[in-house]
Amino acid sequence: MATAVKSELPPLEDLDDPDFDVFAVERTMRGDYDDPYPVFEEYRKQGAVHKLELNEVFAKHHDVEMHGLNHYTVFGYDACNRVLMDGETFTNYEVFKHSLGKSFGRTVTVMDGEEHQRFRKVLQKAFLPNVVARWGDSLVQPVVDRLMSRFIEKGEADLADDYTHHFPFQIIYSMLLLDPDESARFHKLAVAQLLSQGGYPQGPEATEKLGVFFRAMLEQRRQNPGDDLVSHLATVEVDGQYLDDDVLIAFLRQLVNAGGDTTYRATGVLLAKLLEDPNLYARVCADRSLVPLAIEEALRWDGPVTLTYRYCKRDTEIDGKVIPAGAVVGVCMGSANRDPTKFEDPNRFDIFRKRTVRHLAFAGGPHICIGQHLARVEMTRALEGVLDNLRNVRLDPAKPWPKIISHFMRSPDHIFVRFDV
Amino acid sequence: MWMCMNCGHVYEPEEGDPVSGIAPGTPFEDIPDDWFCPLCGAKKSDFEFVED
Ligand code: HEM
Repeated sequence: MATAVKSELPPLEDLDDPDFDVFAVERTMRGDYDDPYPVFEEYRKQGAVHKLELNEVFAKHHDVEMHGLNHYTVFGYDACNRVLMDGETFTNYEVFKHSLGKSFGRTVTVMDGEEHQRFRKVLQKAFLPNVVARWGDSLVQPVVDRLMSRFIEKGEADLADDYTHHFPFQIIYSMLLLDPDESARFHKLAVAQLLSQGGYPQGPEATEKLGVFFRAMLEQRRQNPGDDLVSHLATVEVDGQYLDDDVLIAFLRQLVNAGGDTTYRATGVLLAKLLEDPNLYARVCADRSLVPLAIEEALRWDGPVTLTYRYCKRDTEIDGKVIPAGAVVGVCMGSANRDPTKFEDPNRFDIFRKRTVRHLAFAGGPHICIGQHLARVEMTRALEGVLDNLRNVRLDPAKPWPKIISHFMRSPDHIFVRFDV
Repeated sequence: MWMCMNCGHVYEPEEGDPVSGIAPGTPFEDIPDDWFCPLCGAKKSDFEFVED
């Protein structure tokens, strides 16, 4: 029982300055770059590897944690895939200790080798495709229905602000047995954790406050376990021992952030691209076997995570260029996913394209997204919610068209629609 | 179905893994032991049989 469990926990403390607008600051940090793909293309044409800090090309605000390191960036599909797949040469700890290691703590993204494998297997087990498929009905659908019930009688909505922005966060709160109706503070602190990248003190403050809350939660679920995710993680034993609390707390911090922020953006892109093309929307509506194709194409065409990083352990030649030991390697998945040697006419949004090569929206290699199977279930249910319930839905002609912005974590801020009631 | 326990990738025998030279139609059992998961690079022995 969600509320009963919650009442036994100390409340999550708000930021010291409760009026600090986390979402506005995050939005400013991301910038409003219109379309980074022509820039990616220009670099890719000149070579797979460049000595540059990609963030500097786009952002008005430095990533204070990563700025000034010895940056290289790879743009070609094969080069990106090679870096991601070779976890022995291109490692995580040395680069993410500067960023996600501060925001989340000792989570899987900040681990390498055997330590990573050990924790990763236990965590992935909770998110395997056969497990998350069962959550479609039990966790995802109730959230989709609840959000939709708030605007379905109105004949108009902003599918970003009223729908996609909230649903994956609320699914995670349900997963943790937190009351989704009281989720606003969690959402705020989950997002605030990454403000450390902009040098804002609210970043470490959110990290600390979520840590206190999750530590109490682990303790509580260990004493009184249920069948929820946290109870499972708190009580699972590896080699006769519980998982370290600091790893679990860091994972929960990552989960409330990465699990929501990415999926909502990807779903926004998916809805925007289908609604922009009413014929395509009608085809998908009539033939639901097209839903998975639309999802994969949205992820390829404009997946939210355009860039990740690795640390180069030894001098390594890629495409005729040596990346020196000690360099930070930016892996531009946004560019790889538009590489014309892998995807014909790559800038076209085409759900019917031949899929001989997989996209890198969830990265690849040992750190490939743990939540990819859940994200697909969530995106499917969110799209089907629109297809099933919003009759004659169309972009609102009186309002601005959805515009996907930023060079990183891309998404439309608004998707204004009208529909028949 | 055979599933990678490191990333959840499901091996589909009808598709095989052409990029790694595994022809469509190859049953999981017939894949060489030095094959890697095409998504995450885990070993063949990291796959487990999971009921559908
Ligand atoms: C469309 C939605 C999503 C996208 C595009 C996405 C993308 C990614 C990418 C690109 C990575 C790899 C980063 C790297 O290797 O440097 C990653 C890792 C990760 N993702 Fe996701 N993600 C999504 C949804 C989720 C969800 C729903 C969860 C929650 C279960 C999640 C949890 C994680 C975790 C824990 C990792 C770290 C894995 C590791 O380092 O071993 N993600 N994600």
